[in-house]
Amino acid sequence: MKSRVFSRRDFLKTASTISMVTAFGGIPVDLFASEGKLVRFPEKTDLILLTSRPPQLETPKHFFKELITPNEALFVRWHIANIPTSVDLRTWRLKIGGNIEHPLELSMDDLKGLPKVSDTAVLQCAGNGRSLFNPRVFGGQWGNGAMGNVTWTGARLKDILAKAGVKGDSVEVAFNGLDSGPLPTVPDFVKSLPVDKALEEDIIVAYEMNGKPLTMLNGFPARLVVPGWYGTYWVKAISDVTVLSKTLEEFWMKPAYRIPDNPCACIPPGTQPGKTVPINRMNTRSLIIEPSQGNRLPMGKEVAISGLAFSGGYGIKDVIVSVDGGKTWKEAKLGKDLGKYSWIQFTLPWKPTQKGQYTLMARATNSIGESQPFDHLWNPSGYMLNTIEKVDVTVG
Amino acid sequence: MKKIIVFAMLTAAVAFFVQHPAPVSQAEEMATVHTITLPTIPPDLKEGAGKDKVMVFCAICHSVDYISMQPHLPAKNWDALVQKMIKVFGAPISEEDAKTISSYLAAQYGTDKK
Repeated sequence: MKSRVFSRRDFLKTASTISMVTAFGGIPVDLFASEGKLVRFPEKTDLILLTSRPPQLETPKHFFKELITPNEALFVRWHIANIPTSVDLRTWRLKIGGNIEHPLELSMDDLKGLPKVSDTAVLQCAGNGRSLFNPRVFGGQWGNGAMGNVTWTGARLKDILAKAGVKGDSVEVAFNGLDSGPLPTVPDFVKSLPVDKALEEDIIVAYEMNGKPLTMLNGFPARLVVPGWYGTYWVKAISDVTVLSKTLEEFWMKPAYRIPDNPCACIPPGTQPGKTVPINRMNTRSLIIEPSQGNRLPMGKEVAISGLAFSGGYGIKDVIVSVDGGKTWKEAKLGKDLGKYSWIQFTLPWKPTQKGQYTLMARATNSIGESQPFDHLWNPSGYMLNTIEKVDVTVG
Repeated sequence: MKKIIVFAMLTAAVAFFVQHPAPVSQAEEMATVHTITLPTIPPDLKEGAGKDKVMVFCAICHSVDYISMQPHLPAKNWDALVQKMIKVFGAPISEEDAKTISSYLAAQYGTDKK
């Protein structure tokens, strides 16, 4: 398979005879990892390389102008090195076991024989935006491109579990995929949900993304979709569903993917949390996609300040936008509503009439009043960034 | 004038390239056997004492861009990270090699880096 590595810097070198700075209005110091090296993996377009083994690939910013993220552009994040690269559907089975009445092995045809449902839902990595943490923390250094909005189609997990017959004393449901560690000592990537959560209507085992089979790197042949919750639970290349009568406390549930057990999931920078809980529902975010940090805009000409907003399953009530660093705000117009788990696009026309520096900000509020903080909320793992962004532009 | 036209054409070509990378092959229907081949991405570690040990031991489990992407943090953070790899993930690294690796990481990717 063909691969290529081409960094933005190489690109600038190649095009050095023309002034890229003039052409694109400056090289942004951006809220997305726009300076990164671009790579092409199978079934994916050029994505920003974080790591190659296992692959962690970030979606470039321009794809966030779209309501639905194309399959080839959706970010990629695996945890342990032996990822599936070949799946034979004649032998692949989704095995349901543990604390149930009837152990099951479902083929893809069995799965497709169950009622087919779709959710348009944001998939976002818990560590999306980690590179913007202050003080910085170790971990995948994502810009804001570890997210995407996709229409997922598959069978309801509750329908599968109903066939298996979950026993009354069950506490959690665990999910394992085809990936494995390169050494036997590396903890397998297994995640669990509380049983009540697992039985919710909207949780699906998806075998299609945007109407097509999943790409291998996004979890072929099927993955869990937990709308409103962080991507860590959306187990890829799912192979085993195990109903448990006690809480799973293996590495990827504890101590990994934990947040401070308080309403902001935050602690003073540099300190260690006391009690922690597994990360769960996404917080509310809005991101300005255009214009970009460092852009130069013409005076007296109308531009659109546009972007996207989403929350952990409660829909977006409004997005307000400021062009003066948060002194005054105007309500933006919201775009097409694809449901409470989807992101929604916002736009506010703006005609700057005076030369100078402007700081653009956006703040979303969801239908239950959850919004975004002005100050950075810190936690030691670099999760759940949702600070109101500042985008500095020059007019004139 | 000519220069302006050439500039405009180049800009348009560049913009097209940025917006429209070469087409991506993707399955329309679910194939019975679906296979991909992962690309090989060359390692990008900085030169320095101990790099050889890093290339041997760290790369057992992950590509070394896991190192180069990290923020520059103090030596104690790097040391704790190496210990986590040994204790949590079972990296087969001796105490002596762990010291060499931690020193390399702190020197090349730490806060003391000039």
